[in-house]
Amino acid sequence: MVTVKLKPLDEILRSLSGFKRVYIIGCQLGSARCKNGGLREAYKIAGYLELKGFKVTGVKSPGGTCVLERLDHSSKSLLREAQESADVILSLACGAGTQLIAENVTIPVKTGVTTLFIGSEREGRYFEEYCIACGDCVISDTGGICPVARCPKSLTNGPCGGAIAGKCEVDPNLPCIWFKIAQRMEQLNELEKLRKPVPMKDYSLSVYPRKLVLEE
Amino acid sequence: MSFREKVASGKFVVTAEVAPPRGTDWEPVIESIEPLKGKVDAFNVTDCQRSMVRMAPLPMAKLLLDSGYEPILQLTCRDRNRIALQSELMGAYALGIENVCLMTGDFTTLGDQPDAKPVFDLDSVQLIETASKLNSGYLLNGKELKGKVDLFLGAVYNPFAGPEVLQIWKLEKKIKAGARFIQTQPVYDVKLAEEVSNLVYSLGAVPLIGILPIKSLKMANFMKRLNPTSVPDSLIRGLESASDPATYGWEFALDVARACVDFSGGVHFMLVGKVQELANFIDSLKNNGNYRQKF
Repeated sequence: MVTVKLKPLDEILRSLSGFKRVYIIGCQLGSARCKNGGLREAYKIAGYLELKGFKVTGVKSPGGTCVLERLDHSSKSLLREAQESADVILSLACGAGTQLIAENVTIPVKTGVTTLFIGSEREGRYFEEYCIACGDCVISDTGGICPVARCPKSLTNGPCGGAIAGKCEVDPNLPCIWFKIAQRMEQLNELEKLRKPVPMKDYSLSVYPRKLVLEE
Repeated sequence: MSFREKVASGKFVVTAEVAPPRGTDWEPVIESIEPLKGKVDAFNVTDCQRSMVRMAPLPMAKLLLDSGYEPILQLTCRDRNRIALQSELMGAYALGIENVCLMTGDFTTLGDQPDAKPVFDLDSVQLIETASKLNSGYLLNGKELKGKVDLFLGAVYNPFAGPEVLQIWKLEKKIKAGARFIQTQPVYDVKLAEEVSNLVYSLGAVPLIGILPIKSLKMANFMKRLNPTSVPDSLIRGLESASDPATYGWEFALDVARACVDFSGGVHFMLVGKVQELANFIDSLKNNGNYRQKF
């Protein structure tokens, strides 16, 4: 999922200064899963904004704010509703969802979150970056564990000299991912595969903005 | 004889580290190593070591060369993509710099400008492959070079990092990619220095064992925090009981360096504080009848 983090309330307030009527849109995918921008948080922010003198004209959290159909459909349009009732939209969706809103309304859109990373979730509270969407996936060769995303240097030919006692040189609280990869590859009886030099990565595959177009 | 010729002919070589200045005052840096002229075979010029901004290593290496010292240009993958690295390597050779030591580099956030964008387009193995490709007359994209490049390639190895098998394979990859000499992280144990030397030789390169004299108990503990298994207890105990820990640490390191003459291709001094003492030490090695044929 795409994880987000709520901005500090005073920062949200600052971005809304000069406006009166606010429509809040969260997202039930990433933002809700990481409890930083789903319906619950949207209502919390709404309460806070009401206390600060704003008029909250609506609170919604679609199941996928980055899907245009969920925001704007001929039969029911969240965007139309927002636009007609408010003079600003506060989005708690990730950068993709927030931009999609902004592209399709005429009133200003402010974000109440900052988008963090593509992560995994554990125990409902631990979110870790597992993928940097490099466009050139290598995990079939590394035991299903990504060194591109989970090593700060994105090393694909093995660990650096800073991998001391299983820890990463960049952050001693972080395990060096190459220890995990080695362990897993050993279990799979594939350790020897890591002996082969890995070619240079093709970074042209991660030049943004990227597109995916499906065949009709 | 040049550094390259010495390494190729099996002579024992001594290298030492020189950090470019934080600023443009390069003369004092060169003056400070004057006593080592003709004694240290080549000087590694560090590339913004520990991610602290300093003068670029290429001009510093050229300044050393012009002052009569043979440089080993260190180049990391931290701040340059493959375009910049290829152009830097060609530029180095054009300026008469023959030796390079290629590595991944420390991470940006560990330095004094942690907000910088880290690059790491290539890793150390791929950087060595790149240099070898230039040596063969081509750019990475296969285009032919105008004028040759003939760099003598080195790399680094940390015997204390893990997982061990992957570190050894990575060393093997570096050597297969073209690294001819391997400089190690500081080693304080003769047995380990010998094992590492044997490993590097067996993979087809020449080992230069890293020597970093410990100046105080505080420094030893710092090193131990960085690298828990690198500092032996005997060194810690010795520093604790020594009346002059700096001298104790110095002698301890020199003992390791001296022992290396028997089984290694050279030593790499990573801190040139006691320049005159180091010069005297190198003289004493060269004048030792048992070792003379090695130099």
